[in-house]
Amino acid sequence: MATPTTTATLDLAARFPGAVSADARPGYKGWIVEKDKLIEVATAIRDEFGYDHLTAVTGVDYLPEGKMEVVYHAFKTTGGPVLTFKVQVPRVDPVEVPSVTSIWPGAEFQEREAWDLLGVKFTNHPDLRRILLWEGFEGHPLRKDWKEAFYEEDAKPFKSRWPEGKHVMAEEKNPFKDNINFPKDFDPEQWVPEGEAALYGALARYQVQEGSLKTDHIVINMGPQHPSTHGVFRAAVTVDGETVVSLKPVMGYLHRNHDKIGERNTFLQNMPFTDRLDYFNSMSNNFGYAVAVEKLMNIQVAERAEYIRVIMAELSRIQNHLVFIGMLGNDLGMMYTPALYAFEERELILDIFEAVSGSRMMCNYYRFGGVVRDLPEGVLEKIKGLVFERLPVKADELDRMLTENEVFVARMKGVKVIDAENAIRYSITGPVLRAAGVPYDIRRADPYSIYDRFDFDIPTRPNGDLMDNYLLRLDEIRQSLRILQQAVKQIPEGPVMTGKPQYQVRVPAGESYGRVESPKGELAFYVVSNGKPNPFRYHVRPPSFVNITALEKMCVGTKIADFIAILGVIDIVLGELDR
Amino acid sequence: MLIEYIAIAVLLVLSTAVALIAVGLGTIFGPQKKSEAKSMPYESGMSPYGEGTRRMPVRFYLIAVLFILFDIEVVFFLPWAVVFRQLTWFGLAEMVIFITILLVGYFYAWKKGALEWE
Amino acid sequence: MDWTIWVEWLIKSLFVVFALLTGFAYLTLYERRALAKIQVRIGPNRAGWQGLLQPVADAVKLIFKEELTPAKADKLVFFWAPIITMVPSIVIAAVIPFGPTTTLFGRTIVFSVANINVGVLFLMAVASIAVYGIVLAGWSSNNKYAMLGGLRSSAQMISYELSLGLGFVTAILLGNSMNLHDIVDAQRNVWFAVVQPVGALIFMIVTLAEVNRAPFDMPEAEQELTAGYHSEYSGMKFALFFMAEYQKMIAISMIAATLFFGGYREFWFLKDTFLSVDAIWNIGPWQFQAWFLGPIYMLLKVVVLLFFMIWIRATWPRIRYDRLMSFGWKVLLPLSLAVVFISAVGVLVAQQFDNNWYLAIIPIFSSVAGLVAVGFVDQALRRKSYASH
Repeated sequence: MATPTTTATLDLAARFPGAVSADARPGYKGWIVEKDKLIEVATAIRDEFGYDHLTAVTGVDYLPEGKMEVVYHAFKTTGGPVLTFKVQVPRVDPVEVPSVTSIWPGAEFQEREAWDLLGVKFTNHPDLRRILLWEGFEGHPLRKDWKEAFYEEDAKPFKSRWPEGKHVMAEEKNPFKDNINFPKDFDPEQWVPEGEAALYGALARYQVQEGSLKTDHIVINMGPQHPSTHGVFRAAVTVDGETVVSLKPVMGYLHRNHDKIGERNTFLQNMPFTDRLDYFNSMSNNFGYAVAVEKLMNIQVAERAEYIRVIMAELSRIQNHLVFIGMLGNDLGMMYTPALYAFEERELILDIFEAVSGSRMMCNYYRFGGVVRDLPEGVLEKIKGLVFERLPVKADELDRMLTENEVFVARMKGVKVIDAENAIRYSITGPVLRAAGVPYDIRRADPYSIYDRFDFDIPTRPNGDLMDNYLLRLDEIRQSLRILQQAVKQIPEGPVMTGKPQYQVRVPAGESYGRVESPKGELAFYVVSNGKPNPFRYHVRPPSFVNITALEKMCVGTKIADFIAILGVIDIVLGELDR
Repeated sequence: MLIEYIAIAVLLVLSTAVALIAVGLGTIFGPQKKSEAKSMPYESGMSPYGEGTRRMPVRFYLIAVLFILFDIEVVFFLPWAVVFRQLTWFGLAEMVIFITILLVGYFYAWKKGALEWE
Repeated sequence: MDWTIWVEWLIKSLFVVFALLTGFAYLTLYERRALAKIQVRIGPNRAGWQGLLQPVADAVKLIFKEELTPAKADKLVFFWAPIITMVPSIVIAAVIPFGPTTTLFGRTIVFSVANINVGVLFLMAVASIAVYGIVLAGWSSNNKYAMLGGLRSSAQMISYELSLGLGFVTAILLGNSMNLHDIVDAQRNVWFAVVQPVGALIFMIVTLAEVNRAPFDMPEAEQELTAGYHSEYSGMKFALFFMAEYQKMIAISMIAATLFFGGYREFWFLKDTFLSVDAIWNIGPWQFQAWFLGPIYMLLKVVVLLFFMIWIRATWPRIRYDRLMSFGWKVLLPLSLAVVFISAVGVLVAQQFDNNWYLAIIPIFSSVAGLVAVGFVDQALRRKSYASH
């Protein structure tokens, strides 16, 4: 399915006259598709134009225009930039848009998210429930007419709460009453979560029917308080003895509506806020956001800063993969030994982060146009010592220690995670996609920053089983070291910031989709600006969240123990998954 | 020799006493603040769906039945192992025949897939 | 039957209980420190010198913990399950000899609580009781994790019990007795682990499964079933399960040492020296047998065997449940049957020609059988891993 039948030049308007028009708003790109023709156009985009991978689905509420817009981003797994197409519908409930899950099944969770947060009803969606918020939640918070409790104003910076030297509590000032607004006649104490009923109802069809061999299928909750779901992730699993019969991921326990808070913050205030997404890789998160906003601002990044950015991002990738390998051992029941060996190296990388940014995990290091400050004295030597001497040796050591461990190999080999075709259909990005044999890496396919200057390979593995996923991470560590070795040699002297550092950046109106290859996959920020100090729309496309869409597909038919390992291999981080 | 079993009984009583004392200590010194949430079964923080004790997969019974079959074989081995030096080759041949009969059943179970865990 | 024999029983029983309880306490510390060393960290070292008071601190903490009983649990079974698990782990040590028979205070002292002639049978019987506690705990908790954990462990333990039984048979064959004292004495010249290395290896693997230690710690597989059968237990009741596991580790190491590593006897190269347990020491006016070396040798062997268990836990992931069961049924069971058969033939041949050197056919042929089994596993794994592609 992934092969384009023709290599048509991309002119959707000519291909579908009347149904598609180019987005003519200043600062905007892409195509606007008529709602009724969406399925037809999307099928053509996939099959004729070869955009086989739908990466992001999100919505924007244009309240002033009275329009609701659903934005799709797709790319070709053979490389090249992203295609943006949009559907605009009047902002009258029910806001209905046809679901593209029949074309790209990977859109499932993102469409659920758009329904949850924006109230866009996707017709023909297989399982349209709320995903991040609880079922009893009233309203859709990303709509512009939704007001959050306890916030007296829509956007930061807020006016002083000490107007006359006297502190005023936000609760007293806020015009939106109580913290939570319940619907009428609603008693939270008596509330039975209907979402649970819907969830278990979705699983109920897997229960054994009367008349067949009467062994029960048991529904077990794995999570949220579970040692191996990497946080407060929850999966309701139906098991037949040891075998997973069906599975539904449940998330949102750590939800804080990152997008909404991002819209309230100023552009710069979002920079430290991105640290909290994937808290293992704050450097990568900063990178993605900086790329997105710089695209909008149309500014050049200082040369030295580009190198520093790449160095930090690659160090971040190495430490993420180290943690991954260590924790994978843990998921397989290895009693922390590889984890502690991996953490030893990770600490050294975190030392560098601390030296440059002042914080080990919440780095907040990148700025629009550069980085916040230059490398302190001696740090470059430290990095050189790491990437030339210590880390290559330690990567080999980890490799030897685990790759030749018989039980480890026996647990991992042949346990299929996902194959290439399904990985593309389910919008999977990052190492899981590459372990399935698809050589797609944004650093090479759609280069950003200065990645086109370095000589490195995109490792792939053919089988897409657990073992390949693990080996791929090791390969990536080695490739990252290659990039680092070149970068620390080539890094020039000079300023680390274009222009003057400023608190309030001026961002012209428009939209931008900035994406980077985070260690976990494609991390993208979709930012819409209307010229004000705060982003009009700030959307994160978190790799963990999209990769988890295929979890059910991956796990059905495997054993419980394999489910844990597969979950570990997807490498989710709840800060990013739940946002 | 039989008198030695009294010694085992002494040990049994002692160890049971140790266990009871241990539990008793915990009951005496441990706090007792019961609440509804605490007495719920633990299922990763969710209220469980369905009963905790219920019909279990038939696999486990199959294993239990097979176990009984082969455990008898092992028990039969024990006296033989003590006296087989006196029985010499005849005893060994007897045992081989016995094992062969059991192995037929074993391979039958294997081929039938009773040993697979799918 | 005079009263002194009661005193003797009581003293020996108290000794066993005390040894196992302290052994348990310090085994937890030993494990934590050893794991820490393997994992390049330090481990508990704050309570007392080198952390020696850590077990005490743990015990005190557990005593002051609240004990919870789930509302829907079967209260009676829930109460007794940890006790049923813990008691056999002590009682099983009743027949294990930890010193040579000697004369003290004018009495013939046998260094085991009970010197019964079916000692091996006793071990098998008591070892299989332990599974009840786990199953009952899992069932009575009314918790799905506990239930699954209990089921898993019962299936696992009974599957591996077959090979365990055959391991005992191997030792009986070689020792020509079911009495553990006799089996130890039969290893005066050469350990059974040397005569039957494959049998010893199988025995070690199976005992790991029997005590639910990594990599066979299915019932409590933390990553899958949170805490398995003892999910609902807290405070001292949980401590009893913990105690049972570690005491079983000690007991099973003692059994392994007794059956295959010469028990309380000295290392074979110390035979006939003054370090032998049979040696008579003359110190000044006193003349006595060096029986006290017995417990020391036993302790040494147990510590080494325990270290292997800890080492394995630190380095290997858990084996998946279906593989674990197939391994038990399809590999270990036929292999241990073959091992028994080869041992019997070897013993008979040696008897026929009245030359103990013929016993050498046992290690040779059983190693071949072991290699065949390893090849079988290797091939099965390879087939599985490439079948899906």
